[in-house]
Amino acid sequence: MSPAARRRLWYWIRSVVMILLALIAAIPLYYIVVNTFKTSQDMAVSPLGLPSTPTLENYSKVFATTPVLRSFLNTVYVTVVGVAGQVFIGSLAAYGIVMRRSRFTAVVGLVLMIAFVIPAQATLIPLYRLEARAGLVNTLNGLVVMYLAGAIFCYFLIVGYMRKLPWEIIEAARLDGAGPFTIYWRIVLPLIRPILATVIVFQTMSTWNDFMTPNVFISSTAKRTVVLQVYNAVGQFATDWPSFMTMTVIALIPVFIFFIFCQRWIVSGLAAGSVKG
Amino acid sequence: MASSAFLLPVIAVFVLLFAVPLAQTFYFSLTNFSGYSTDVEFVGLKNYATVFSDPSLLQGLVFTIMFALATTVLITVFAIPLAVVLNKRFLGRNLVRSLFFFLSVPSMAILGLVWQYILSPLDTGVVNSILHSLFGADAVAWLAQSTSARVCVILVAVWAGVGWHATLYLAYLQAIPADLYEQAELDGAGQLQQFRHITLPQLAPGIVVSTFLLMSGGLKVYDLPFTLTKGGPGFATNTLTQSIIVQGIAQGRADVGSALAVIFTAAVALIVLAQLAVSNRIERNLS
Repeated sequence: MSPAARRRLWYWIRSVVMILLALIAAIPLYYIVVNTFKTSQDMAVSPLGLPSTPTLENYSKVFATTPVLRSFLNTVYVTVVGVAGQVFIGSLAAYGIVMRRSRFTAVVGLVLMIAFVIPAQATLIPLYRLEARAGLVNTLNGLVVMYLAGAIFCYFLIVGYMRKLPWEIIEAARLDGAGPFTIYWRIVLPLIRPILATVIVFQTMSTWNDFMTPNVFISSTAKRTVVLQVYNAVGQFATDWPSFMTMTVIALIPVFIFFIFCQRWIVSGLAAGSVKG
Repeated sequence: MASSAFLLPVIAVFVLLFAVPLAQTFYFSLTNFSGYSTDVEFVGLKNYATVFSDPSLLQGLVFTIMFALATTVLITVFAIPLAVVLNKRFLGRNLVRSLFFFLSVPSMAILGLVWQYILSPLDTGVVNSILHSLFGADAVAWLAQSTSARVCVILVAVWAGVGWHATLYLAYLQAIPADLYEQAELDGAGQLQQFRHITLPQLAPGIVVSTFLLMSGGLKVYDLPFTLTKGGPGFATNTLTQSIIVQGIAQGRADVGSALAVIFTAAVALIVLAQLAVSNRIERNLS
């Protein structure tokens, strides 16, 4: 066989194997979606088959019997406010560290490094008590406060990027009389847009998907986030499997849309990490 | 000083959400504090002794370490070859890449719930119904036996995580200059030799990052085992995080929960440092 023919053969082998692999890996996703259009009986007879008589009843039932829209609004609030706070605090800290080197900033940098290794689980019990005393348990703002801890992670991603900025521009702005906050807001933030996009995408995903914090801090139905709502749907739809799958699909649709729009920042974020090593 | 002012918010976050609660956790771990009563006594290391004599807590420790090690090894072993193939040309490449990546986008908690249905011995259980139609096998309650429940939790985590880590490796692969391979080809190196002497060394920093994320994430795991098995059967898939929450918040044993949290933090710090040391050595040996 000529090298060209061999290369073509491998191309087709690769194509077939990879498409098959991807399809097999995606069976669970197909399973969730296809069962939302079935009745319970239909699903029990053939969990993987196409619906015998497709129905949208499960969707109307889920919207009618669960506060799914409410939990969406809760999650949007917690994610937007939480991530905005994290990124603001983290970028401000990175700016303060990079702007002027002193013994103080060196100590702060070291302390943040240590904090980076401390798992959230280590602080959970005292923080629960703290929030209980402040009346923040079972509130959305209580969740936001917990998510602010992510500022340290944001700081680490942003500070590496900020060090590589052309600081002559900033020096020039300062000579023109711009104050430090104006420089941060008007010059530095626009310059670090690429890393901000990456940080925002990663933190949005992890905040939106978080289960531990809402599961510990939220008890009332009205305050549930989407993930907690799906978790509770298992009990509510104990024998009504298609309704549970429908709930799951409704929960995954925004994540899916977000993923499609932000895919390039996710991948470029991974690539940026690769440059840093 | 102006620059210090920019650090104030992060210092506040550090003090309120890290330093003070961590000190409190350490303090609680040395007392008999229940979480409610104000009458607190110093009891020394008693809570630590409790942790090491409670079989449910020990099982949580064992499974957490097992989970972290197994997912780190398996995901790495599958993600690297997957990334190598994803980096070559084939039909539908972008779609296949997106599909693998998308598996890690949904919340792990939700994936755990869905897999509970997939693995169910009831009629909804796809795994059992496939095994039945292929081999006529009887339905197996995968999540009801310790060993198979542990294997299932780990495999679901691998299924969900491989795509993400393959994408991470892909980013490193794409940064390898093509002329390295052209030169090797001219020198008569085969595919395997090229992988061993070019791809693997160039991937070394990626391996450090990926295994670091897997290891530290694996030790902190909570969502997937909790939603897939509730930590059962018995305490077979109990995790450290789950134990900390149950003891420290749900059962009003803040003292034991805190001792567990202190041990947990020390273990995370130790294992992560050891992992970094080992992977740095591997990186040096490869390149």
